[in-house]
Formats: sequence, structure tokens, C-alpha cells
Amino acid sequence: MATLSTDVLVIGGGATGAGVAWDAALRGYDVVLADRFDLAEGTSGRFHGLLHSGGRYAVKDPHAAEECIHENRILRNIAADCIEDIGGFFVTTPFDDPEYADKFMAGCRATGVDCEEIDPAQALREEPRLNPGISRVFRVPDGNIDVWKTVWAMARGAQERGARILPYHAVVAIHREGDVVTGARLRGHATGEELDVEARVTVNASGAWAGQVAEMAGIEGVRVLPGRGIMIAMNHRLVNTCINRCQMPTDGDIIVPMRTVCIIGTTDEHTEDPDDHHVPLAEVDQMLDDGEKLVPGFREARALRVWTGVRPLFEDAKASDTQTRDVTRAHAMLDHAERDGVTGFVTITGGKLTTFRLMAEDTMTAVSRHLGDERPCLTKTEPLPGSEDGATYTLGERLQRKEKNLVDEQIICECELVPRWKLEQAIQRRATTNLDDIRRLLRLAMGPCQGGFCIYRAAGILHGLDGLSAEQADDSLLDFLKERWKGTWPILYGDQLRQARLDDWIFQGVLDVEHLPANQPEAVAT
Amino acid sequence: MRSELHYDAVVIGAGTAGLVAGARLAEGGARVCVLAKGIGSTHLAPATIDVLGYAPDRVVSPSGVLPEFIAAHPGHPYAALGVDAIAEAARWLQSRVESGPLAGYRYLGDLDRNYLLPTAVGALRPSAIVPETMAAGDSADLERACVVGTRMLRDFHPALCASNLSRLGVPARSVEADIELERADQNALGLARHFDDPGWRAAFAGRLALKLQADERVGLPAVLGVRDPHGAWSDLEHRLGRQVFEIPTLPPSVPGMRLYEILRAALRAAGGRLVLGAEVISSERDGSRLSSVATHSAGHETRYAAPWFVLASGGFNSGAIELDSHWVTHERVLGLSLRGLPAEGEPRFLGDYLAEQPMSQVGVAVDGELRAEGAENVLVAGAALPGAVPWREGCGEGIALASGSHAAQLVLARSGAPAGAAA
Repeated sequence: MATLSTDVLVIGGGATGAGVAWDAALRGYDVVLADRFDLAEGTSGRFHGLLHSGGRYAVKDPHAAEECIHENRILRNIAADCIEDIGGFFVTTPFDDPEYADKFMAGCRATGVDCEEIDPAQALREEPRLNPGISRVFRVPDGNIDVWKTVWAMARGAQERGARILPYHAVVAIHREGDVVTGARLRGHATGEELDVEARVTVNASGAWAGQVAEMAGIEGVRVLPGRGIMIAMNHRLVNTCINRCQMPTDGDIIVPMRTVCIIGTTDEHTEDPDDHHVPLAEVDQMLDDGEKLVPGFREARALRVWTGVRPLFEDAKASDTQTRDVTRAHAMLDHAERDGVTGFVTITGGKLTTFRLMAEDTMTAVSRHLGDERPCLTKTEPLPGSEDGATYTLGERLQRKEKNLVDEQIICECELVPRWKLEQAIQRRATTNLDDIRRLLRLAMGPCQGGFCIYRAAGILHGLDGLSAEQADDSLLDFLKERWKGTWPILYGDQLRQARLDDWIFQGVLDVEHLPANQPEAVAT
Repeated sequence: MRSELHYDAVVIGAGTAGLVAGARLAEGGARVCVLAKGIGSTHLAPATIDVLGYAPDRVVSPSGVLPEFIAAHPGHPYAALGVDAIAEAARWLQSRVESGPLAGYRYLGDLDRNYLLPTAVGALRPSAIVPETMAAGDSADLERACVVGTRMLRDFHPALCASNLSRLGVPARSVEADIELERADQNALGLARHFDDPGWRAAFAGRLALKLQADERVGLPAVLGVRDPHGAWSDLEHRLGRQVFEIPTLPPSVPGMRLYEILRAALRAAGGRLVLGAEVISSERDGSRLSSVATHSAGHETRYAAPWFVLASGGFNSGAIELDSHWVTHERVLGLSLRGLPAEGEPRFLGDYLAEQPMSQVGVAVDGELRAEGAENVLVAGAALPGAVPWREGCGEGIALASGSHAAQLVLARSGAPAGAAA
């Protein structure tokens, strides 16, 4: 069996885990990052994309609000290329308690969240689709963040400093010698080969799965309450500003414009299983009704995709099992040396995406102490690869690039303007055959046709690049179609059903993918 | 401003079913007008005439399997149409292709045996009647194939096609053709226009010939000419000294555009009228009869009155049937009743992509003569009909052709218009 030796093994490749790897690499440690699936495929890749201003927590959880605005300012500098400065409105709709608005403003003042009340007429000029019945509007510095870009930028940055990044490597055992955790055994998804990693410190950054991973190390009682929420991507930016209901946080109260779409979220249901991805149809209806309250006519727009994400909420004595939203959104860093007398093992869980850097910093500060040579954290000022110029992303960027070489460049995904060279480069750099990995990396197939046109092209290109058999290309194509269907069937109505039917004609009719060799028990030669 | 026009029959929809109904009505002597919001499904589909491909196993002989299939699927459009009507409609189409505007172009085959043609991903798809330009791809006697593509056409990937064909028992390899064009992106129509040019074609064939091996047929994406496909295809066969076949790929479909031109020409030659950009926005009833429909275009409302109407407006894919966000289904053109809806509380869709989806057989409720329930002078044709899953059963064009023909014949028989003008 192959073995690796490292200073820090990070289990979990979400924003927190990748952040820990980046922080560790910047401090000069050797680091291995492993995830059972792709990076940012779990909770990090399944949220609405909001970079919080802190406004959402200003009344209810002032500490979280302070953390959010603090991190918001840092991330705009160090991860500029991953962030779009959309700004945010908190709006009092006719459905909201009008008295909350003053509390909100006071909360923002107390927590340092920049907040300016503006005339509803001005807000409607900026966002004409907003409910015209809004009575008060507050402007806050919300942003959106492309989490896949962020996570891969950190992973690549760490890699350039010697880190080893291992997506699709599941932890099958955590090695423990007496009261010392010494590393873990990983199993590669593709080959089934196992790999022993010896680590001076192992970081459990597995979020909603942290309890499961801690148990593998023989540590009991790390209770994470998974709070499941659904989100729906609509096919346009119905709004260009992040719109929040000005009320105590509840379901379906936020619309985040993200790249070419906008995302409405979310619900909050307690679930026992963090891998529970099912979409209750009643929640879809609820989300559409909530959308109507913010943007009348919301139901007429096309819904592209629905998904569920699981918040990792660390259990607090005051929370009941059914009300996960009332659990603090602050993160929890558990130093198991102090907590359980087990050294070489640290768990980081809870928190929210906006505070991932802070979570990583806290974790690595503790780890650094364990390693006996406290080195300073550099992530507050060191830009991620690709963000060196400090310019935030703008919506027109891809189109602007494309216009420069309109004639010479082939576009594979028209919805998201993904050129062929970029797809080929991504396939080769990632060495992946999974079109869903490519989707997360490039936003390929995330637009209105949901891959109706580009996925055949991408499968053909995958096969054309060296080393991929037709069997693997077919599997990639079929797996993608099956995976896509899971996120589309619950929201198929209106014009998106037309689109799905066209896609059915293309894949099941014109291409007849159902009768590819992969789906045939035996070859047919008539 | 408003005007009213009177016809013997008005057809709504300009896909295969609507154009066939319109052309055959006109040929039968009826004064007919085809109204359509836009061009129909022809430009999206391979333009092969798929009569029955899967039932659910692959069908070798549609005429052999159809009687049993019809008996087992009493709600299927074929049960109302019958095998003979399907065969007659197919023969009509073949004759119109031959006498049509694309000189020399033909459709080959019959209902007795399905061709098994390569798709762009290299699966083998059964189809009964196919353009001559595709027939040599039939896997029944395809011993070796060379699939040819070009990097410029992002909608066709010869290597994947050839690899899968080989896995299915048809030895195939692929080559990239050298094509120099001014843009890195070409769609099928852009390439087809080049293939219409004899000089360009000759140069292409000259370069390609150097890459071919002795005993292999050549498969190309379906781009061999949009104005002169017979000329382009036979010229390539001649120059390359071997059989050449087209492989349908992603829309826009060049063979579909040819079929559209052929059907439109048949309609016009018989004196029928086609109005595109004419979405039906309202209709008037006289009891259980539809008396007129109205369109709105260029700021002008026009009313079309007729004793007979053919509804060939398509299903969910055209938008003529809609499932709204409150999960209510509507027929949007005439407000007709629907059939095939999942019962209250039953799932609309299932989570398994390749499962039989409950919503997939929804269509306008019809009687045994395919007349709309509650509107006795409205005949329904094509994808608006319930009871079929055409993209999985491989029967979309068969239904469109036969139901369009059936509607025309029923109207002609009932209205006493001079019949048989083009028999």
C-alpha cells in the first residue's frame, strides 16, 4: 500500500477544508487535502452563493453579523475574482412585520454592518421587478461568491506550495495509537486503491459529516444537526441586487443573483442523514410562493434546477432537534486534546460559507500550536491565485473575452459562454472523466438548456482527448443526464418543461443514448 | 383593425403533421390555410420517418409488429389510424419527395423492415423510411465504416461515434477532415451550404480521399447540402468511389429543413396557403363546433373561419400544451380537454431519468376518429395526440404523417369537396 507523510491531513474538501489547506500551505506546512467526492460538492457547493453582509444576523445573532461583515471585507480583497459586488437590499414587503425595520437598522449599527436606508422609489428604479408594495429598503454590502472557483483557487494555490489535493478519496479508517491520532487510510474512488497518510495533525473539516468522521477516530458526542434546505435556480437574473426580506430569518426570504441566473432560498428542515438530498415537492411550491412575494410574476419565470444543501449546525444546549435555524450559526472548533484527551486531531464544523476563512484561521492557529512552532496566519492579505489584481468579477466578463475572438474561438456551452480550449484545459488539468466535475469548475451546462446541447459536445471532446475510452465517455454522458434529471424533475413546468422535452428528443430520440452499448447487456450486430 | 377570411379548412401548426394535412387537403381540392406560430419540429428532428422503433424491444419489422402493438395499446394514435393508413401516408410522402423541389432526392424503405442507422453518439437507431443520403449507414450490411467529422462542427464527434459503433459490432474508425473556413464555429446549416457548392465539394472530396481505406463506407454528419442534397451526396459517392451516408446530429437539422421545403412546396403547389408568425390567440365557438380562430400579427387581428379545423400544434415541446407552475395542465390554443394526465396525487415525473414518465403521454382528448372531444369539427394530428411516447417508441413521424393524412381525408370525405385530385 502506498503511504504519504505530511504535517497536516485535512479531511473534507469544502470551503473550510480547502481554506485550512490554503492557510496551512501559506504557513509553510506540508498538507494533504482529501474529500470522498469532488471539492465543494457537499454543503459548500449546495448553497445560494451569498457572501453575507451580516445584515441577516444583525438582530438575531449579533456575533455572527460581526464575523460576516469582517470576513466580507477581507474576502473582497483576497478572493476578488470569485466575488461579484452585487450589493443587497433588505426590503419590508406587505407580508413583513413593519416594526422589524427599526430593529434591523439598530442591529446593523451595533454590529458594524454598513447599512443605508433608501427611498423605496429609488430601490424600484434599481430593481423594477421588486414588489411595488415595499415600504422600507436598506442597502447593505452583500455580494455573491462562486464557491467552486474559490475552493479550486485555494486548492491550486496550496498545490503550488507543495500540497497534495485528493478529491474522490474517502476516509476508510482513522489511525489512532493510544491517545494520538496519527493519520488516516484513504480509498480512491476510481481505482479502489488504498493509501495510508501519516499526519502529525489530522483536521476533521467534514462539516455536516463531522460527527461521523469523529466517530471513526473513536470520539463520541460530536453532534452536528444537519439542517436541510432547498434552493431553486431561475433562468434569469430577475434581480441584479441580492434581495432579502426585512424580517427575522425564515424560509424563502432571499434571492441571490449569481452569474447568469438567480437563486431563491431556502427552507430549513432537520434531517438525520446529511446525505439526504431529496426535494419535497411541497417545499418547491412554498419557494415559488415566497418568490412571488418578493418579485411578482416569479412563477412565470423558468426554474432551471432545484437542489438541497445541508447546514452543519453544531449542537447547542438551547436548541431543539426540530428548529435548526435557532441554533447559532457560529462555528465550533474542537481541540480534541482539550476536549477528549486525544492529541493530533482537531474538528472544525458549524459556521457558514462567508466565514470559512476565519474558521480555517482558527483551526490552523490551534494546529500550529500542536505542531510546536506557532507560525502566523497569512490568509487575511494573501490573494488567491487569479485574484491578484483585486478586481471583482463582473457579469459581462465572459462575453467581453469572447467578443475579442468571436471568429477564432469555438463555444461549447452557449448559455455560460464556455470556449472549447477552456473545456479541454479543465479536463486535462483535473484529469477527470466526470462531466459534473467539469460543470462545477466551468459552469458548463448550468444555463437554461441544462446541457441539452453542450453535454454531447463535451462527451465527444472528452473522448477525443487522449486516454478516455468510449465506455467512459458514454458513462460520463449517461451519469450526467441521470444526475441532471434529479435536479430538474421536481421543478418541470412552463417553458422549462418545453426545454426538457426538447432535451428528451435530442438525447433519447436523435442520439438514442438509451441504446448505447453501456445500456445494452450484449452487443447487437444485425 | 380586424378582417375575416373564409376557408374550407384551417390547419394550426406547421410541423410535419400540419404540413401533411394542409398539403393533402389542398391536393383534395379544399381551400386550405395553414397557420403557425413558427416553423415546427422538422428543423429539430433527423427527418427519418420512424414508424415504430421500440415496442419496447427493438422492432425489426414495423408492419409485422404493429397489429400486436395496436392491440396492446388501444389508446395509442396508431389504434385509431391502422397499419394501412400509416403505409399509405408513407407512400404519399415518398412520392412528394420525388416530385418535390430537391431534384433527384428520394426517401427509401417501407414498413416491412427498419433500417438501423448510426446516431451521432454511435448508437443504432431503428427507422422505417429514410433519406437516400442516410440509407448506406444501415448496420445490416455495413461492414466497415469511416466516420468523418471536422473540429469546426462542434455538434458532431466522429471518434465517439466510431468507437461506439465498433462496440456495437460495426467496425468503424474516424478521421478528421481538413476544412478551412473563416469561422471556428460552424453549425450544420453553415456546412451544408458549402456542400451545395460543387467546387468546394470537389476540393473536400479530393482531400478526404487520401485518408480513406479501400473497403470502408464513409459516414458524414447530415450536412450534405440543403438545396441540392441528391447532387451533393451522389457527387461525393462518385468522387470517393464508395457509399456515403449521413448521420443526423444536434439541431438545426439539415435533413429536417429539406423535408420542410418538400412539404411546403407540396402545400403551395396544390394551392394551399401557409402563414407563419400567426399564433392563434382566440377562437369562437358555435355550440360543439369551432367556427373561427383569430391570429394577431403586425398589429392586425385576422379571423379565419372554416367548417373544419385541424389542430397540429404539437404537445408540451411546442408550448401548445402547458403544465403551469401550479401543476395545472392546459391546451392553450383552443382550450380543449386533455387525456393521459396522472391522477390527482399521483407523481408527475419519476426520479429515474430513463423511466416511463407519467406526464409523457398527455395529449388532446379525442374520439375514435381523432376528433377533439367537445369540438366535433376539430381533427387532432401529430404530437398533440395522447397515448404515445414518440421519442422513446420511435414513432413520431409515423404518427405525424398518418394522422395528418387521416385528418385531411376525413375532412375531404365529410365536406364533399372534390376528392382525388392528386391521388
